[in-house]
Amino acid sequence: MKYTPFWGCMISIKYPQFEASIRKTVDKLGIELADVEGFTCCPDPIYYQAKDKMEWLTIAGRNIAVAEEAGHDIVTCCSGCTSTLSEANHILKENTELREKVNQKLKKVGKEFKGTIRVRHIVTAIRDDIGIDKVAETVTKPLKGLRVGIHYGCHLLKPSAIMQVDDPDHPAILADLVRATGAEPVEHKLGLLCCGKACMSDEIPDRMVIDLIESIEAVKADCMGLICPTCFDEFDLGQIVLNRKYQKNFELPVIYYFQLLGLAQGLEPKELGLHFHKIKAGRVTEKVAAA
Amino acid sequence: MSGKLLANAVSERQNLKVTSTVKQVQLRQAEISFDFRQKLNDTLEGFRHNYCYQCGACVADCPAARYAPEYNPRLILLEALLGFEEELIGENSIIWLCTNCYNCFERCPQDVRPVEVIISLKNMSVERGTSPEEIAKISESVLKVGSTTFITPLVDRRRKELGLPSLKEIPVEELKEILED
Repeated sequence: MKYTPFWGCMISIKYPQFEASIRKTVDKLGIELADVEGFTCCPDPIYYQAKDKMEWLTIAGRNIAVAEEAGHDIVTCCSGCTSTLSEANHILKENTELREKVNQKLKKVGKEFKGTIRVRHIVTAIRDDIGIDKVAETVTKPLKGLRVGIHYGCHLLKPSAIMQVDDPDHPAILADLVRATGAEPVEHKLGLLCCGKACMSDEIPDRMVIDLIESIEAVKADCMGLICPTCFDEFDLGQIVLNRKYQKNFELPVIYYFQLLGLAQGLEPKELGLHFHKIKAGRVTEKVAAA
Repeated sequence: MSGKLLANAVSERQNLKVTSTVKQVQLRQAEISFDFRQKLNDTLEGFRHNYCYQCGACVADCPAARYAPEYNPRLILLEALLGFEEELIGENSIIWLCTNCYNCFERCPQDVRPVEVIISLKNMSVERGTSPEEIAKISESVLKVGSTTFITPLVDRRRKELGLPSLKEIPVEELKEILED
């Protein structure tokens, strides 16, 4: 299967280890990621959309039009990009008036939104086009005994009418993918809580993240597993900040799904950039080495 | 016009205080602005606020409301219906506590999509110049360099260490061109 990857700013610039973990794992699934020239920021669904929704839609429409020229579906790797590009793709496919408005703008640079491709988070594309069984087949070093507390994040699943990925109240997609690596997905009481990043308050997101980390610690998971770099930011760097601000002793490793898959495919922690994380992944890598 | 309607608005708010389970609702004299309502109706999804029948389904599953009882999406919708411009898009509006989690979008039986109405309100706040500075900071970065984050030598080093290709050029000029009127 050939896709156009949309890496986004957070992953390509801030967390390139996630890009590396995807590039190094998905070829074994029979996925070809054919990069294209000409993408910009998606743009982000929180700040830019708050600034001007019409501009947000226009920029997103341009990015989708760039991918349409290559002819393959977009796969996103960040839940923010997923939110922006999926919603914009939906709006521009459904609403002819807005499509015309956006296309008038795009015409100035010789581009046009045609509505010919799909946009999905890469985990969704893998589940639907490749299959969870195929993921399990690529595993050479099952992560036996590794307990992963899953954090779904908001924008992979919601709004479900547009995303059409999974039941937003009882999702299974990430647990199924984690299970395919041989690890054990562990349920915890706040698995569906938002990371709080978009809430513009000094204190509310802190309390959300504290509760989330404690929720995962309470079920004795070895790490948190997720698929969104913004959530990652909140939890990885976030724990360091919270430890200082509230005298906590959090040290829960936060692992991007494709880093888990990489370990299960026998890649070294360094190849997956685990050493770049603020919270060191020692307890994960030790358990994996012992498995 | 707004002077005449002031009393009504205040009495609605007092009523609200009596019936609401949220005690933190602040009472202030509020003016009804028809201009504001008209403008909200004209935004991309702002018109949806008219479908709200105040059932409160959006509140129970709202993380911002759980952590900050003064935040209540039902009351935001009520204030939109009443045309309380200052409360919603004045300085330090409560709307900026929204986490954009879309739970209210999932729950609303009227397809109001409260989060989308709130995004419309945010757009109006930006236009008025009352939005938090992060909004301008990040959107300016998108328009200036094409991304929300800046590329530093450390980024290039990390990418190289991970065996990744160098970053592609971002066509910022094209971005500017499509946004011009």
